[in-house]
Amino acid sequence: MREIIRVNNMTKDYGDGRGIFDFNFAVNKGEVFGIVGTNGSGKTTTLRHLCGFLKPDSGSCTIAGLDCRKSRDKIMKNVGYVPGEIDFPDVGSGTSFLKIQAQFLGIKDKGYINELVNMFALDTDASLKRMSKGMKQKTALVAAFMSKPDILLLDEPSTGLDPLMRDTLIELILKEKQRGATVLMSSHIFKELDDTADRVLFIENGRQKDLINIRDLESEEHSSYRLGFKTEEEYQGFLSRTKMKVIHKNKEHLHIDIDVNSKLPDTLFDEISGYDIRYMKYKPFTLESYYTSVTEKGGKISA
Amino acid sequence: MLSLPLLKQSIKSNAVMWGSMTGVMTLLCIQFSSLDMTRSLLFTIFYGMMTTILPGIYVLVTANKLLASQVDRGSMAYVLSTPIKRSTVTFTQAFYLVNSLVLMFAIQTGAHLIVNNISPISFATLGLNMLKGDLTSKMIIQVNLSALMVCIALAAVCFMFSGVFSSSKYAVGLSGAFTGVSILANMLAMFGSLGVEGLDKFKYLTICTFYDYQSVLFSDSDWMVKMIFPIAIAVIAFGIGEIVFSKKDLPL
Repeated sequence: MREIIRVNNMTKDYGDGRGIFDFNFAVNKGEVFGIVGTNGSGKTTTLRHLCGFLKPDSGSCTIAGLDCRKSRDKIMKNVGYVPGEIDFPDVGSGTSFLKIQAQFLGIKDKGYINELVNMFALDTDASLKRMSKGMKQKTALVAAFMSKPDILLLDEPSTGLDPLMRDTLIELILKEKQRGATVLMSSHIFKELDDTADRVLFIENGRQKDLINIRDLESEEHSSYRLGFKTEEEYQGFLSRTKMKVIHKNKEHLHIDIDVNSKLPDTLFDEISGYDIRYMKYKPFTLESYYTSVTEKGGKISA
Repeated sequence: MLSLPLLKQSIKSNAVMWGSMTGVMTLLCIQFSSLDMTRSLLFTIFYGMMTTILPGIYVLVTANKLLASQVDRGSMAYVLSTPIKRSTVTFTQAFYLVNSLVLMFAIQTGAHLIVNNISPISFATLGLNMLKGDLTSKMIIQVNLSALMVCIALAAVCFMFSGVFSSSKYAVGLSGAFTGVSILANMLAMFGSLGVEGLDKFKYLTICTFYDYQSVLFSDSDWMVKMIFPIAIAVIAFGIGEIVFSKKDLPL
């Protein structure tokens, strides 16, 4: 696969440990690439560099081989950007904003814009100033997607969206991926990355921590199950006798989360055969469980 | 070099401010040049103060809105996430600022020309007894041209601060201080020229000094020579604003 976004030893030091330090990663063409990190970890700073708004102190970043800062205007022909902070130009309604954006991007055909507006159930006649957070976010999304760009840079794109709209956004991202677009999105909502991303970069305090492949995550050797017991005796009995690893237990609800080696599922069935099980649930291994398991382990994610 | 969508956006977002300032200035001009009670003060009050105060307020607010405030609020991200050069952004915004001032003065001058053609004002009414005859159309155009150049220089300095700072509070603070001092010093200097001793020194503190309506009325060429300075200030200030804006980091 061909690399389309490349970040080389990029550092931007804002002092007091803020900023991003020695970032190195590449995004392949047609890939959905996620960046995860707590607030202030450097997600937005990374995206601002890719948009050419900031100049790195050292290192560089390129899109399609062009330097992001120097060739911003050329790169932006093929890039859609959803900024982390949403504030619109003072042009009145959503309709006139989208109209002016379309002119900036040289879009003649309004068909796709209307399609997006309908998809997000957006009322574009509303005044930009009076729009709710979610409405503003949807307007920003339409503005970023409407030119069908090759590359989408999305800074926490689902902020303010209701759960249904979040699903619509996920569908749209997957559709764009199918079309061949490359998507780089930052988020702290694991679900949307679980559903869309091919690879996810974890960052913490401006440093790269871990780069994981979602597909590897799914084929992890271990999977976890939650077992609900009928009585406390059964619950205690299982706890004392089991040879499997207990990840989590809850006496209140009488359930236990256990780690099962996917290659030896029989162990699980052997062990539970004597018990009166209220329910058994498979808990898919998600980014979130990965994140919590590694952060809990060492307090920090290790590279 | 010029971006039409951006120009359209700037016209739209500044229309209210431009419209009201142009309206107030034109109405005041009509009032001072037509009503008997105020005619004698046409130059001391209207051309002496209003032609710098009103455009001064306009450029102070507008220059900030054109760059700094959009960076501060983040809305510049939408402009710059399109294939447009930063230099095109500054050029278009400066183009808008200068031409909106030109149009403001053109409308006001037009109104004055019409009023003056219907009922010409004599120099005697204006208190200029050493001059004979009436105020001519040519003089009106020249006075306004002289005022326009100074306003463009004020606009350029405000624009420079707007381009240099990414935060409205600094851009407005410094532009406001500059515009305020310029206009205030000009008013004090005017009292000096009207006979209050000592105040005439204030003319060295303000670029409004380069706006010289007396020279026009006395038909000498001083006012034309003085236009060179505001033009030079405007070119330098617009240049600095454009260079800094194109190079700096933008928190978008």
